Amino acid sequence: MTDTATRPIADAPPRTTGARGGVAARLASGPLPWLLPAVAMLGLFYLYPVIEAVRLAFTDARLFDTETAFSMRSVSSLAGSSTLGTILRNTLSYTVASVVGQIALGLAIALLVVRAERARLRGTLVLRTIVLAAWVIPAIANGIIWQLLFSEAPFGAINSALRMAGVAPVAWLSDPGNAMLSAVIATIWQGTAYSMILLYAALKTIDTALYEAAAIDAARPWERFWFITLPHLRPALLVNAILILIMTLNMFDTILALTGGGPGRATEILSLYAYGTVFQNFELGRGAALSMLLLVISLTLTALLTLLLPQERR
Amino acid sequence: MTISRTSILTAALATAMPVVASAEDLITRNRVGPPDAENSLTFRLTAFDLYSADDATAEAFRALFTDFINDNPGWRIDTQLQTGAIAQEQARIVEQARAGRGPDCAMIDSSQLATFKEAGLLAPMTPFFTDDEIDDLFPFVRDGVTDADGDVVAWWWFTDLRVLYRDTTLVPDAPQTWADLQEAAAQVAETGLEGVLFNAGRDEASAFDWLGHFWAQGGELVDEDGRPVFFEGENRDKFLAAVAFYADLVDSGAAPRRVTALASYDDLLASAAAGSTGMFIGGNWMYAQIRNTLDADAAANWAVSPLPGPTPDERATGTGGWAIAALSDDPAKVEMCAGIARLYAGPGNAFQRLLPTSASLYAEYEEFAGPEFQIFAEALEDGQARPGVPIYPEISNQIQILLGNVLSGSATPEDALDAAAAEVMDAFERM
Repeated sequence: MTDTATRPIADAPPRTTGARGGVAARLASGPLPWLLPAVAMLGLFYLYPVIEAVRLAFTDARLFDTETAFSMRSVSSLAGSSTLGTILRNTLSYTVASVVGQIALGLAIALLVVRAERARLRGTLVLRTIVLAAWVIPAIANGIIWQLLFSEAPFGAINSALRMAGVAPVAWLSDPGNAMLSAVIATIWQGTAYSMILLYAALKTIDTALYEAAAIDAARPWERFWFITLPHLRPALLVNAILILIMTLNMFDTILALTGGGPGRATEILSLYAYGTVFQNFELGRGAALSMLLLVISLTLTALLTLLLPQERR
Repeated sequence: MTISRTSILTAALATAMPVVASAEDLITRNRVGPPDAENSLTFRLTAFDLYSADDATAEAFRALFTDFINDNPGWRIDTQLQTGAIAQEQARIVEQARAGRGPDCAMIDSSQLATFKEAGLLAPMTPFFTDDEIDDLFPFVRDGVTDADGDVVAWWWFTDLRVLYRDTTLVPDAPQTWADLQEAAAQVAETGLEGVLFNAGRDEASAFDWLGHFWAQGGELVDEDGRPVFFEGENRDKFLAAVAFYADLVDSGAAPRRVTALASYDDLLASAAAGSTGMFIGGNWMYAQIRNTLDADAAANWAVSPLPGPTPDERATGTGGWAIAALSDDPAKVEMCAGIARLYAGPGNAFQRLLPTSASLYAEYEEFAGPEFQIFAEALEDGQARPGVPIYPEISNQIQILLGNVLSGSATPEDALDAAAAEVMDAFERM
């Protein structure tokens, strides 16, 4: 054994004497003081509301009642609810279709923009700006815009165009099946820009030498996409999927403006159901329980997607 | 000595300027009255009058509030705007009032009055209204604003009702019964237009517009104790008959299936303006909107009549509107709030041509002399307010879902009613 194991490091700060001095010094020299303000702010503005929502979920609180008691009623009422099954099915189909659509379309546009830039075509900036314009529109306005477009009145925009093309008008919002499709289209239209920007940035980091080498090897376009682009995009795609998933699960304002959840409950998703439970039926406890369910679903799916990330990116 | 016209104008402007400046200073985006007034009152209002986007309306209310604040020296009204998200805004008022941060005076949707009364947040206003004023209120209004102790705790300043609009070039005579309406709508539909439109999407308007057909048969949503009973006994038959009326309109093609996506009166107005529908069920306020939106000739074709019933003698229409109530314990503030309510109920209503809640006001203001007000006043005799019970929002929600499911063909009326009943009773038991 060499003496290097016990030799003091020349540059190390002198140790203070006494236990309290030691703890204080260790704390002062660690990252805690730097992190404390951020932790305090996060705790106050993010963690506390979550804790409060958890507490409310286990009460019988109503918005207009002054007295509440701890109770399992809110949670148990959901367990036996047939409506919740319908809501969860709607949420699943809406979320999966919207997330897949946003990623696929965002990737397609990002590839188009990168390809156009490499070919030194004009107009790529305009294209990116147009796509981003949809993203800056508030979700509630997005719902109203698409409600006007999908209007089934004789003067509805899309149906009028279809009629001019000799195609029969579509019951975009009044047919329960089509209404969900319409909600997904409206969501994809707005959310695609976010995916496009993330994936565009990731595409720009891929070394062009790889494509040049592939071209020398006579690789076809789909082979270049499959064997070069996709593997390099995998982390960005997964991060994109996680962020979009959370945003889509929490989305309710577009659907609120577009269909209000109807016809019937055809487009009522979990976030909209929770909103209605609190602000229409004033059931604060039950609404909090629904929010907790939404949180658990978000966390579970996020954890599953995170497992797919490469180890160094987690 | 001669005085030039320019000099006269200059002198007039110089004299008028301080007055104009004074009026402008008195009313800002968040205040009525001098900023340094010794007394203040917070008033939460909607954006349809004092802060209306319509310049004429805003100007008229600025004049009314200027007179009001001049009549109450030493007071300042701190105004707070409500957004259009009514349920959310009303819930916010309750939450803030419970925390001691609520407004002193607020506009309350009549459908939420029961909730506010139940929460015990409203201050009695009885001392600030005369017995004659209270007795002059329509009975359904008086019931709505009176609490269990017999105190008037709000002033319902305008009401509204649902009526049938028709293009008289397509439907010359007002349908008196459901069968008349279906026949007339079917004839219009044969011409390629939409026969009749009504809200049947996910919105309170859909449930409330439809409820007139249920109430016309004597149907009751809740019993005397506030327990939901619309799905049992005779009420069940009446409920299903009213649903069948709508379903028959859609299934026969007299009404388009797209009504399940209609949840706004604006959509109905747009169809009337486009001339694509023969009739629609809308609110009384749309009479003025039609006159303002369509050109004079087209507007003259549109007539209004009471909602048809299963028989000519069985009629009902839902009556809504807004109230003003005090949420303060300070009697001086409650009195000021009552004064604001009186301002809205009288001259404010007259300007906006909203329906007053007191019979005498129809005679007092010449603005209510139009023939349409005669029809509205007659229809109000069959007016029915929403039950003042906490379960009503869930009943309304389930009616909206039921209408969507039945009219889109996703469920039979019986199954949809059973499902609605189960949901409502679950919610009722959680109360």
